[in-house]
Amino acid sequence: MKLTRRLFLGSMGTATAATILPAFPAFAQDRSIRHFWWGNPTRDKNTFNVIDLFQGANPGIKVSGETIGWGDYWTKMATQTAGGNMADVIQMAHTFIHEYVGRGAIKPLDEFVGNGIDLSNYDAGANDVGTIDGKLYGINIGSTTQAIPYNIRAFEDAGIDVDTLAWTTEDLAAACAAITEKSGGAMTGSEDLSLYLENFEVWVRSTGRDLYSEDGKLEMTAEDVQSYWEFWGGLRDAGFVEGKDATVILDKGMADLGITKGTTAMTFRYANQVGAVQSLMTDPVGAARVPQRPGTGNGHYVLPSMFLCMTRDVGDIDAANAYIDFWINNPEALKSLGIDRGIPPSQMGRDAIEPTLSDVDKNVVAFFGGVQDQVGPVPNATPKGAGEVRDAFMRTGTDVVLGNMPADEAAGQFIQDAESILIRANR
Amino acid sequence: MFRFLRRNAAGYVFLSPWLVGFVFLALGPILASLYMSFTRYDMVSPPVWDGLGNYQYMFEHDRRFWKALQVTFTFVAFSVPLRLAMALGVAMLLDKGLRTIGLYRAIFYLPSLLGASIAIALLWREMFGVDGVVNGALAMIGIEGRGWITDPDTSLYTIVILAMWQFGSPMLIFLAGLRGIPRDLYEAAEIDGTSKWRQFWRITLPMLAPVVFFNLVLQTIEAFKTFTSAFIISNGTGAPADSLLFYTVYLFNEAFKFFRMGYASALAWVLLIIIAVFTALAFATSKYWVHYENERD
Repeated sequence: MKLTRRLFLGSMGTATAATILPAFPAFAQDRSIRHFWWGNPTRDKNTFNVIDLFQGANPGIKVSGETIGWGDYWTKMATQTAGGNMADVIQMAHTFIHEYVGRGAIKPLDEFVGNGIDLSNYDAGANDVGTIDGKLYGINIGSTTQAIPYNIRAFEDAGIDVDTLAWTTEDLAAACAAITEKSGGAMTGSEDLSLYLENFEVWVRSTGRDLYSEDGKLEMTAEDVQSYWEFWGGLRDAGFVEGKDATVILDKGMADLGITKGTTAMTFRYANQVGAVQSLMTDPVGAARVPQRPGTGNGHYVLPSMFLCMTRDVGDIDAANAYIDFWINNPEALKSLGIDRGIPPSQMGRDAIEPTLSDVDKNVVAFFGGVQDQVGPVPNATPKGAGEVRDAFMRTGTDVVLGNMPADEAAGQFIQDAESILIRANR
Repeated sequence: MFRFLRRNAAGYVFLSPWLVGFVFLALGPILASLYMSFTRYDMVSPPVWDGLGNYQYMFEHDRRFWKALQVTFTFVAFSVPLRLAMALGVAMLLDKGLRTIGLYRAIFYLPSLLGASIAIALLWREMFGVDGVVNGALAMIGIEGRGWITDPDTSLYTIVILAMWQFGSPMLIFLAGLRGIPRDLYEAAEIDGTSKWRQFWRITLPMLAPVVFFNLVLQTIEAFKTFTSAFIISNGTGAPADSLLFYTVYLFNEAFKFFRMGYASALAWVLLIIIAVFTALAFATSKYWVHYENERD
């Protein structure tokens, strides 16, 4: 009896060990890296294309690409960061890079520059924003600026003749009225941009201030917020912009934008996204500057629309370097990427893509060149907690759009909330 | 101790697959979250001890915490009674002794399998949107629709309806309970000329009380934990204007969007205590309204 039980226990132990052991990963035979980016259908296609090109040129290295929409990207990124299994190479945004660098999740690249990653083609200053505390963390893979994509046909139909590189908020209001009236209300002038913090940023910067000060405090004021919400509120009350039900849906996908649905003639995007807007509609799309209030300064700025970063969890550093270098220096890769991620920050890159540009791309490149004399300095770094401030802006703005709170009261409350968010995030 | 082990070793070995899972996958993380609830932890750098700081902030300064409680309590108060009523109603219809009862049971259970899924949440968002089917149907009878999900006054109730529709599991339990009620009670009532309505209140409901109690407790816990539908319908933010800021959605955002694992752990423990209090309340009051058939009093 005793013996059988021992025997039984022994065999059970073996069985348990056998079930647990396979849980340990087998060591990979081939060299491999993971690349994680946020995308849209066009961008995903381009990126997988670059991966194929890279794998063709580097037969020993396998790249697995992972892609997801912008909103879910950051959730997944946070989870992977916490779990210690970030992809080797990730796409990063200027709004989040400080947060991730501050937490030690991104690897500085200085030691690899000229030693795996060749930046000699880059424009002067192109990597300034990705350089934090003197170290290079993010490699600029495309420059962009704020833009108002507009439906060229709707503008022509409504007889709007205005220089969209120099127009003002008054011109925008007039255009919204003309388009709405011309279409008999079937198409309004613009999406109601009350909840777009990125568009509001231009509004603030045109006064010479930034959203955040150099030392990470708020620089925008309640008056800025109130005047912005009141401007759009005026258009909303007049019925010249999209209704509140569409407005309060946050961070809409490309297919849900008023302009791609054909319910509005304008929206807000970064310039590099105008091509993706065009791919979802038949009317030709142009890019206009974000209109500024008469008599104000330059609100626009040129920023790297995206960075490539190597993460703390990188496995095969050499393979990751080779991959990053391929992205920024291989003409075929650059051609495949086009300007969906922004204008290449090197003359070599711009020359490479030049012959492949579509009509809308040409509009965007012309627009990008046209606003160069109106861009201001790069804004101060966004402090930790900026993402949460953005949420608070949209949340409080929703109350204004729905008419639950007057703009002045809501603006005061938002500034108060934003201040306490920053204090809490940076203690 | 040694003797105890020798006598029970085989038992523990048989238990081990569950035990190992429980210790490492449940108990360990639970205790870790209790510890983390007293720290500030951003998931990358190591946790920093903060004493009761998280709890203090929650109760004294965090307006969104109170908002999340309000949303969640409202949801529980509406969805649980409605779902139970729905489940009982359908169970009573199915209890009429249909020949194809298996089929109907499966059909009515289906929404519960689908209801928690992302696809249904997306479907809901479309249905109750401005151009959705619901407004289409209302337009046909001459009522002007609205953005049910984009209006903070109605958004929560669209999720209540979604919850109500997932009545499958309580329905099955009710059905089993109804089958257990002796038919002679109804026969006696029929002979005395009792109305159906009265039979329901005087026979069905009292006889079913233990099952109602069981369902009530489980469904209340379930409702407090609602996450997927609210998360998907509100795009993960609790929008519009925090009207869909379910407690779990808030907790998730604090943890995985704003990197406050310590604070999120504290939120989780407060939710645990709230659920425990409600369960205890249900048990405490049960002796006044739940009677078991074989109980002597």
